[in-house]
Amino acid sequence: MSWRAELVAVWAFALRSLLMASRNVFFFFELLFWPVVGVLSIGLMTKFLHLDAPQTSFVLIGTIALSAIQVCELEVSYAVLYDVWSKSMKHQFLAPIGVRHLTTGSWVVGVIRGLLVFVLLAALSRWAFGFDVLAAGAGNLALFLLGCFLTGWVIGVAVCTLIMQFGTRAEASAWASVNLVLVLAGIYYPVSVLPEPAAALAAAVPLTYFLDAYRAHYGFASEFPHAVTTGLALSAAYLALSHWWLVVAIQRARRTGQLLKMSG
Amino acid sequence: MSAIDARDVVKTFRAGWMRRRVTHALRGVTLRVPRGAIFGLLGPNGAGKTTLLSILATLLTPDRGTVTVLGHDVVRDATVLRHRLNMATGNASFLWSLRAEEIVAFYARLYGLYGRRLSQRVDDLIELCELGAYRRVLYNELSTGIKQRLALAKSLVNDPELLFLDEPTLGLDPDVSVRVRRRIGDLRRERGMTIVLTTHYMREAEELCDEIAFIKGGLILAGGTAAELKRQIAIGDVIVFRLDPPTAAWIAELPGVLRYAESDGRVECVVDDADKRLPALLEALHAEGVVVRDVRVSEPELEEVFVELAR
Repeated sequence: MSWRAELVAVWAFALRSLLMASRNVFFFFELLFWPVVGVLSIGLMTKFLHLDAPQTSFVLIGTIALSAIQVCELEVSYAVLYDVWSKSMKHQFLAPIGVRHLTTGSWVVGVIRGLLVFVLLAALSRWAFGFDVLAAGAGNLALFLLGCFLTGWVIGVAVCTLIMQFGTRAEASAWASVNLVLVLAGIYYPVSVLPEPAAALAAAVPLTYFLDAYRAHYGFASEFPHAVTTGLALSAAYLALSHWWLVVAIQRARRTGQLLKMSG
Repeated sequence: MSAIDARDVVKTFRAGWMRRRVTHALRGVTLRVPRGAIFGLLGPNGAGKTTLLSILATLLTPDRGTVTVLGHDVVRDATVLRHRLNMATGNASFLWSLRAEEIVAFYARLYGLYGRRLSQRVDDLIELCELGAYRRVLYNELSTGIKQRLALAKSLVNDPELLFLDEPTLGLDPDVSVRVRRRIGDLRRERGMTIVLTTHYMREAEELCDEIAFIKGGLILAGGTAAELKRQIAIGDVIVFRLDPPTAAWIAELPGVLRYAESDGRVECVVDDADKRLPALLEALHAEGVVVRDVRVSEPELEEVFVELAR
């Protein structure tokens, strides 16, 4: 495939995601309602508990990250879920495309939507709770966001894989999996408070390192050396692994007939 | 050269607890489809038609056997092959919130089309499939017939050399079916496309297909042109008489007469070979003083072949 054909196929999925997102009302809830409710409720809780400014920042970083990652992850998951819901799965796999087109196109839209959510929540946090996302510096913020969106990509591809393997039974993983990862990555607490086996698992989650590195700029001692490099390396490894797993799941779906079962 | 050469294709599906429920969808299918032909796959529900079509279209992988499509192995060269084939299904479904033209454009992009070539292709297909009035209508607001035409448009986005049509007129009104059939015939005539279709409608198969294979229980039971199938199955020719007096049940005993029936003042005889038996029948009727007012000879309908094979 030429590079131009590669880009066109990626654009096809990105455009499809954009069109679907712009025409379905439940996307509004994903983009605005739940993230805003999340930040407001957690922010108000920090006031009730009389947390100081660094502690409030610590908790709000986790809350904002949760929303941005979830929106991005869901968009990647939708690459397969749309076809499951509309029973049109076989048509795209009849075309000469690779999983990279499918996931990259939807990830690009996921990043755009994730950024929108992030900007909105950052503004809300600043106005309501005095938390400034730019206090860490623009470069560090960009790295943190990159880490969040790479995490969303990996989880989204893993969800696509589960759906290809188990069909609609795995649909719930689109909403559940990101929460599981965030619990391990220390969304509202440092991973040092996790019990030993969970802490070991947390060390394998890239987001753990991105949260750690970003929070270090708000006065919290870093628990990991070279946190950003480790996070990026783990993300790259998981991206490769999750895409390989998705390829295997699609091959299996072609063998077992799962691909046809998910089509009209 | 064949467009499709499938040999001893076996496909088994396993489902349920410990994958114990086993369905033998194909039990050793061998099939050749010449280039440029319209080839029909007929058979009752669950015969294995869609499974076979899906294997040929690279959507399923066979458990055993070899399948060569347009000179490529369907498993090893699947990606190369996907550029050159496409498929439309009778109960096709697409994303509910996309407009008709957006659906065609989305699939066209998956084949690398962009810019002016993309717009031109979308316009051409919208026109070819008479979708002009619906191009900006959302998919879930389209009627069944329009959805079917959209599925056909989508299947032509890459101008395929080989087109698979799975029940292309399923559930359509008769007038729409006629238009879809005409379009399928045009595709072969104008573009030299090889078309493989499955259908439940015998008339459709007889009207469109150069060759037909009858599949049942995962095996091809018979194949050939419609006329050859009728001969192979040997269910005989039909001779319809109008007689005076109107009955002559005794002719059922004559050599070569397989069945005798009376309805609406007519006598219907099924004989093994009308050319051979008709003179003797006329002679016998004349000898018994029966006046033959009218006589017509017809071949059996493909439907009768289907019923015979599906039995």
